Amino acid sequence: MNGKHTAGLGGSVALGTIHPFGPHNSSRNSFLKMVAKEMDFLMAEPKARRIIAYAAVNIVCVFILLLWCHSTNSMALTAYSYLAIFDLLRLLTALITLWVQKQGPSSVFSFGYERFEVLAVFSSTMLAQLGSFFIIKESVERMIQQPDVHEGRLLLGALVAFLVHIFMTYSVENKAFNHVVEASSSSWLQEHVADISEGFCKVVPGLSRLLLPRINPFALIAFAGATALFVTYVLIDMYNYQAADTWAAMCISVMTFGTMFPMAVYSGMILLQTTPTYVIGQLDKCLREASTLDGVLEFRNEHFWTLSFGKLKYPYGNFSDGIVLFVDGICVFSYSQVVY
Amino acid sequence: MVARYGSGSNVLATGAIYNSPSRFTPYIGLLIVFKFLRAFGLFLSYDLLKLVHIVQFLFIVKFGAAIFLLFLQKPFTSGPRLTKRQWFRILRHAFFGSTIQLFWIFGLTLCGPVRTILLFEHSDLVVIAAASALFTGQGGSPAKIRGGVFMLLAILGILLFDHDDEAAHQSNFHPEGHHHHSSIITHMFYHAVNWSGLSDHKGGVVMLTLTICLNVGYNTASKKLSVDVGGAKRLHALSTLLSSLLLLPWASFIYFTRESQITVSWIYVLFPFIFVTLLVFILDYYVEAVCVNRLEIARTAKIGAIAIFTSAIFLGCFWNHPFVTHITTMQAVQEIVKEDHVLSGGVIFSFVLFMFSSHVLTNPNKGSKGSLVGYSAGGLPLYNMAEEAFQRTSHSVALVLKNGLKQILEESDSRRIFYFLCMNLFFTFVELVYGVWTNSLGLISDGFHMLFDCSALVMGLYAAVMSRWKATREFSYGYDRVEILSGYINGLFLVVIAFFVFTAALGRLFDPPDINTDRLLVVSVAGLVVNLFGIVAFSHGHSHGGGGGSHGHSHSKPKQHNHSHHGHGHGHHGHGHSHNSHNHSHGEQECSTKNSNMQGVFLHVLADTMGSVGVIISTILIENFGWNIADPICSLFIAFMIFLSVVPLLKDTAFVLLLRSPLEIEESLQVALQKVLSIDGVLSLRKQQFWSHTSSVMCGSIHVVTSPDASEQKIVSQVTAIFKELGVQNLTVQVEKEAYFQHMSGLSSNFDVIVEMTKNIKALNFQDPHSIKAV
Repeated sequence: MNGKHTAGLGGSVALGTIHPFGPHNSSRNSFLKMVAKEMDFLMAEPKARRIIAYAAVNIVCVFILLLWCHSTNSMALTAYSYLAIFDLLRLLTALITLWVQKQGPSSVFSFGYERFEVLAVFSSTMLAQLGSFFIIKESVERMIQQPDVHEGRLLLGALVAFLVHIFMTYSVENKAFNHVVEASSSSWLQEHVADISEGFCKVVPGLSRLLLPRINPFALIAFAGATALFVTYVLIDMYNYQAADTWAAMCISVMTFGTMFPMAVYSGMILLQTTPTYVIGQLDKCLREASTLDGVLEFRNEHFWTLSFGKLKYPYGNFSDGIVLFVDGICVFSYSQVVY
Repeated sequence: MVARYGSGSNVLATGAIYNSPSRFTPYIGLLIVFKFLRAFGLFLSYDLLKLVHIVQFLFIVKFGAAIFLLFLQKPFTSGPRLTKRQWFRILRHAFFGSTIQLFWIFGLTLCGPVRTILLFEHSDLVVIAAASALFTGQGGSPAKIRGGVFMLLAILGILLFDHDDEAAHQSNFHPEGHHHHSSIITHMFYHAVNWSGLSDHKGGVVMLTLTICLNVGYNTASKKLSVDVGGAKRLHALSTLLSSLLLLPWASFIYFTRESQITVSWIYVLFPFIFVTLLVFILDYYVEAVCVNRLEIARTAKIGAIAIFTSAIFLGCFWNHPFVTHITTMQAVQEIVKEDHVLSGGVIFSFVLFMFSSHVLTNPNKGSKGSLVGYSAGGLPLYNMAEEAFQRTSHSVALVLKNGLKQILEESDSRRIFYFLCMNLFFTFVELVYGVWTNSLGLISDGFHMLFDCSALVMGLYAAVMSRWKATREFSYGYDRVEILSGYINGLFLVVIAFFVFTAALGRLFDPPDINTDRLLVVSVAGLVVNLFGIVAFSHGHSHGGGGGSHGHSHSKPKQHNHSHHGHGHGHHGHGHSHNSHNHSHGEQECSTKNSNMQGVFLHVLADTMGSVGVIISTILIENFGWNIADPICSLFIAFMIFLSVVPLLKDTAFVLLLRSPLEIEESLQVALQKVLSIDGVLSLRKQQFWSHTSSVMCGSIHVVTSPDASEQKIVSQVTAIFKELGVQNLTVQVEKEAYFQHMSGLSSNFDVIVEMTKNIKALNFQDPHSIKAV
């Protein structure tokens, strides 16, 4: 099939696992072509055009922000601008969602393309976490040797990043991320804010609509990061306390990590083909119900997993008794009655 | 065990207990007044301690307190007779108690009264709540965790941000100058402080923090004794008496061997001593005991803490005012000893944090954690708290470590990663230690970089161990897919690294900085050697990529995977597939049956190696030719290489995660499907879905539409056999006859489903299995 390729790299046995050059060049070209084709196809949709326009704005902002990061030499601003890069990934996810909705199953992807959404969410949250992990490492290195930070553009950069982030959070309808935000467990940041705002709402009950039960994590991280940057600015400007920048960077990255972690866990569990914990009880009920049917002896190898966000894969398994045809259907129906 | 919590009932309950708050006002007032007086007494004792040695001070105060307590408590006559053993335990209690108090008073002399009060006047309840929230994770609500974190921050605030300038520049002559080390404790303390490099009032802060932890432990331990002896108050009286007797020899030794540095007549210090004894050691004790009885313990702790902290700050502001010194008859002292601690921004900051944390930590718990079961008929939430409370068993750390190590060493993959990780960590450790020793920042930061790289190894190790866990309800297929996910994450990690290297190189390309190259070469060569070890270790037995010669290795692969998922509940262990598929798509097969996790780890090591090589090359170029531009160019090249090397891994793992039908059996699958169609009685196929669960395990599900008279058992076994030959172990076959579709359309109320079903009935004769889109 690709004998040419194996012959080409035959000598380098030690570096065996990598073969970046052989067939992938050609496949990448075709991949690019495919992407271009699909983009053409998507551009017909006004929603997609809007998202792409936003993405262009976002890219420009990210570029400017990164330049300012370079000129201010501020780690905290860098950590905060990574949120803007994450916004770009979110826009990409929204685009993928739009694309997925137009696709049906094919012979290669026999389940359809919904999983692309899950993978996109997982990748973007993971990338954000790895980025913040990197920032933490850099900050630790900076703690040993604190370079000077020029606070001139710090506040401006914080403002721009904040506006971009809030705008991208609220202006684009992002189905996949909205689902994950709702379905995943709260991050520690959210939990603490919910706890504080509960106390707050006892004093001003009107705020409960705004603050409870929990705030959008992306908005929260935007506010928290902006606050950290502001404090940094004040500390550097008034006391010339340069290490504040490093500490703020640590804070922002830890918060980013905390925000992204539950979402990554949620989407990662889908990718691992696990049974969602919240349906286990329901499934037990269904299985019990089904086992009372005529002719059913037992269930073997029953696996239940989610295909994509909010879509449970048909319960399926090998049944010891070949005669049972309808169990599958009944389970699906009783499930859908109970949960949706 | 289902308990009911409703917001409504909660309010009712609290209302029922505290229906008349006015009843408690006298006690609250009493507590506040006496806490203020205690703070006052502590300020006074700080001044006294400038005159009197700490051991003498403690002796006098204890002795005074013992006299009062003997009259008030009558410990010898009131309770049951004490046995010899109980006397011994009281003696022990007295010994530890006076040791802790010596530390406390020593801390007072070092830090000044304000800081001592802020650090030491916490009730046991607060400290225990903070510790359990921070360290055990069972502290309960996030509010408690916040309280614990704030407490930690407050202590750090005093430790780091409190400059205490006046004390600092006076302490230059303080320890060695006019006190020659006045006791053994001081002597040891100054040695420890000198060694750690803290200024001595900061040493005092650390000591006070440790002492309060000791004190909490001491109080908890003495509870049982107080029950045995017959009441906490009796124990207190006896213990005070005994500790004053214990301190007597030491105090008199100091009195006779050393003449006092500052001579003041006894009249001056007599009144303050009586004051301190009464306020700090007697009245406060009784008032607190009464308040704990009347109010509840948490409330006492809260009000007491807030009162004493506020009065400490208040007194701290006004203590050195001439008017106050006149009242406290401390003029003599003021004239003699000028040095003093001042309030600083750090202290105020910590004061606010301490107030907040003790407020939060003494708040009642909002019900323990329970999982929401559902809602009652009345709309109140129902919680199930059985699991959290009863199923938590603690394991000893040693046992966990031992089991973990055993699991790691069980299998070759994880063993290899583990050994390499150990080597890497050792190298990092050596580098860090050497860096600290020679004070080289470059080495230290490189050490941190290595540590950062180790995180990828740790993840790989964890995934390798985890992938062998047995299947659970949640992970019904078993954990082996974790390997794929870990490989994917490692790939993303490398992409991020490549991105960072790229941006950093771009920045340096335009203004190449001067690079200090000494020792760089040695370190990078050492790093290269370590990483080459890694490459050899990881490519051995895994070098099946590309080379046709590595045939033997790849045949041994399935055996390793056999380990990884035996005991998953599905009884199919046929790994014959791999031999089968090796025969026809050779290269592709090898590239995707390998372990993605190991590949991710390998790529990491490879990226590191490339980094080391790049550093070596650029160092040589810079040293010999002065080409500073070589460094960013090398970095760019490395970033590009890392990115290119990671693309195949990302692609493979992404395909598995996306449930793409397996690449390597794509062609044979068509043949197999044709074979299925040719089985007797099979009319058509629906929903043929195949995906690889891990790189070696393939799953599939297929719906076979048969003629009404066909035997299901026979068809299922035939179809299973066909796919088993192909390597699909986990196959689900659903046999469908016409009756099925009729039944389904009867069951479904949904219009779309009916349409689909009728379509399916029509499609019974549909022959082409590949165009599922049409179905």
